[in-house]
This record gives sequence, C-alpha cells and structure tokens, in this order.
Amino acid sequence: METPLPTAAEAPEPRGLLGSFNELLTQPLGIVQRAREGRPGASFGLLAGAFAGYALYGAAAGFFQGGSQILVAALKAPLILAMTFLLCLPSLYVFTSMAGARWTRRTFLAAVSGFAGTLALLLLALLPVAWLFSVSSRYLGSIVWLHVLLWSLVLILGWRFLRRALDAIGAGDGMSFWLLLFLIVSFQAATFLRPVLWSDPGKPLFRFQEKMFFLEHLGKAMDQQAAGAEPASPAEKEKRKAG
Amino acid sequence: MGDLLLAGRLLRGYDDLLSDVVEGRRLLRHWLGLSLLMAVCAALYGAVFGLWHGPRLSAYVALKLPLVLLLTSALTVIFSWIAALALGLPLKLGQVAVLTFLALSVASLLLASLAPVAWLYIFCSPLPSAGTRTAHNLLYLMHTAFVGGCGLAGTVALWRAMGRLGAPPRTVLAVYLLWVAGYALVGGEVAWVLRPFVGSVYAPVVFLREDALDGNVYEFIFTDILPHLASLD
Repeated sequence: METPLPTAAEAPEPRGLLGSFNELLTQPLGIVQRAREGRPGASFGLLAGAFAGYALYGAAAGFFQGGSQILVAALKAPLILAMTFLLCLPSLYVFTSMAGARWTRRTFLAAVSGFAGTLALLLLALLPVAWLFSVSSRYLGSIVWLHVLLWSLVLILGWRFLRRALDAIGAGDGMSFWLLLFLIVSFQAATFLRPVLWSDPGKPLFRFQEKMFFLEHLGKAMDQQAAGAEPASPAEKEKRKAG
Repeated sequence: MGDLLLAGRLLRGYDDLLSDVVEGRRLLRHWLGLSLLMAVCAALYGAVFGLWHGPRLSAYVALKLPLVLLLTSALTVIFSWIAALALGLPLKLGQVAVLTFLALSVASLLLASLAPVAWLYIFCSPLPSAGTRTAHNLLYLMHTAFVGGCGLAGTVALWRAMGRLGAPPRTVLAVYLLWVAGYALVGGEVAWVLRPFVGSVYAPVVFLREDALDGNVYEFIFTDILPHLASLD
C-alpha cells in the first residue's frame, strides 16, 4: 500500500533553510509532494544545507586529533557523502524505476534532497555525542568504531524517510538492500579519501595512490593512538580502575 | 517545597503529569519541577556516594552526580527528539525533555531512598588506604548496582509513560530502546569523565582527574578490564 502524500494545503513551501529542515521533521513527505505537483521546493537549498551539516559533524569528529585536522575532517566529511551519493544515485534511480517508481527530475531530486537532509539532521543531533567521544578517546580504533555505529544508526533512521518517499512514488518494498549498498560505499569512500580523523605530520592530504579495502582500513585504525596518548603503565591502570 | 510535592505525585502514579505531557501542556513547568527533584535527590545520594573519602569528596559528588544526569540529557536530548520523529513518534522537544527527566527523577528518588543503606555500608567500611582495596571494590560494586538498578527502574517509568502517547507499540518500543541505549552509551562516558565518585585508594581527592579526557570508558573496558578477565582463564 502506498504512503499517502500530504495535500497541497498540508505542504506549503517552507521558508528558508531552517524551514526546510523543520519540514523534514514535521511533514517529511512535503518536499516530495510539492515536486510532484511541479511547485517550487527547496531541493537545492536543502541539499546545500545538508552538506553544511555533514561538515559540522566532520569538524566535531576532527577533534580526535585536534588542530588542523578539525578543518580537514570538516572538508572531508561532505566529500565522503558527496562521493557516496554520486556513486549510489544511478542504482537508486534504476532499481526503483524497475520496482515501479515513476520519477521526474524534480521528484527524484526532492527525494534525494530529503534523504540527504534527514541524514544531516540526525548527524547534527549526534554532534554533541561525537564531540564528547572525540575529545576523550585515546585510540583511533575506538573512535572509528563509534562513528561506524553512529553512522549505521543514522542510516537506519534516515531510511525511514526514503522508504516512505519511495512508497509514495510507487516503488514498493524490497529496496532495503540499497541502504546496505549506500553504507558499504560510504565506508569505501571514507577509505579512499583518508586520512579523515588522524594524519601523521607531513603526510599528504589524500592518499589516492595507496589502494586499500575498507575492512583492511578499519583493521589498521585499531592500532593508532591519539596525540600524546601513551599506553598506560600497569601502575596507571591500577589508578584508573580505582575511581 | 514544590519538588517535595512532585516527589509525592511521582509516588502516587503521576497521572496528571502524564496527561499534561500527552497534551503538550505546562511542559516547561513540569520540566523545571522534575529537574529540581532530580537534582536534589541525586545530590542527596551523591553526598553519601562520596562519603567514604570524607566530606570534601562527598560535597564534590553531591554536585557531580546531578551533573552527570544533566550533561547526559543535554548531550542526548536533541538526538532523542529527532530519532523519535524519524521513527514516527511526533513529539515536541519539550515532551521529550519531560519524559527523559521523568525517568531520571524516578531513578533519583529511588536512589535517594537507598542513601541510608549505602551510608550504613560506608560507615561500616575501613577507612580508605592502600590496604583497603577490597572495601573500595565492594563499595564500588554496591553503588554500581544501586545506580544501575534505579536507572533501570526509571526506564520502567519511562516505558509506562510512553505507553500513554497513543502510538503503535512497535514504534514506542523502538523509540524507547533507542533512548535508553543512547542515554546509557553517553551516560557511561560522562560519568567516566567526571570521576572519581567512590575515590581511589591511591590518588588524592580531586573534583576532576587530570586525565579526565584521556581515553573513554569503553576503551578502558576493552583494553584494561576484558584482557584482565581473559587472563584469569
């Protein structure tokens, strides 16, 4: 059964970027409805706002190493997402079309913008948590796994928007595999655009020449410690336990 | 006085409070009342929590225990709200805040009621020194059990309150589990950053450790606790 779209009266054009984000929370399918009716939406604005949100989350993640890495992570987080979207959108379009969706340029852009905006909202909501763990973690491995956990959670929650949008546009069920594809591609994009959270001094901003699979990259991250963090001595360990 | 009245209402089932939450009425007033009740009760238990090391740590922990709850709420409330919306539970931010603090207030009220019991065990423990590590560990275990048990009871109050929202049970369960998991994940780290609570038998009493932000609690569990347990095999 298709998810009903809001009526024209229920989906007035939101004002500004904050209005667009607010609409995603209160009337998630409003953007798709306006696109379907050919009314102007805020798809490009929402998309731009979403990428600004990714940059903020990236900056919070960059606090793990601190210093210039905050800027590097703020730059790379939107790049990772941009690469992931660009690589996965063709498959979303083709597979959903074969599943029954009848896209127009506007409705596809609206659905993608809404999904990107929902992901950004969820990442922004998790920004304080990411910051806390970034400033207090000692091992790159633990902070990487925290981001993997948070990102997986964000995708699962964000999927709710896209599933309803696909439902409303007639694509029906069975598209969950695309979410898994998106997740795996995002991991590989992060590996391709590394280093994001930690960079040794003097190393280049990107390491395109060194090819690596994302699982290998996750494994290597487990051995890296934060700046200035030395392995605790047995005496220190005793002290830390006692608290 | 107001928070004591609220404590009485919580003990009697807080039906009127839940009606206001469901209808989105007087949320700020309820949130303030619950925050005050939570802070007073957590401070009371905190004062006993830190008492083993004397009045200074007792005063510190009386401040820090409410701070742990407040900071964890501050760090998670926006996510809790947006996650609820994303899962199809259309709540206002104020409703999320009141529901969160309802659970915290119930947990704190229960903790405060256990303060005399905790005090008895502290009173009967040998004074802290390098030779009283076992007493330290037992007190630690007792406080962990009390805080954990009361926290769990607080989430039962949250679960009952969420049942009144009129949403499908599957949605309510998903939101409830996500809120509790998020709070536990972040709360564990905030408490770790704000240690000591019982107080070390090796280190002097301080409000915050110098290495408060050096390593997170989960790293400590995985690098120090689990390998130690594995070596006992």
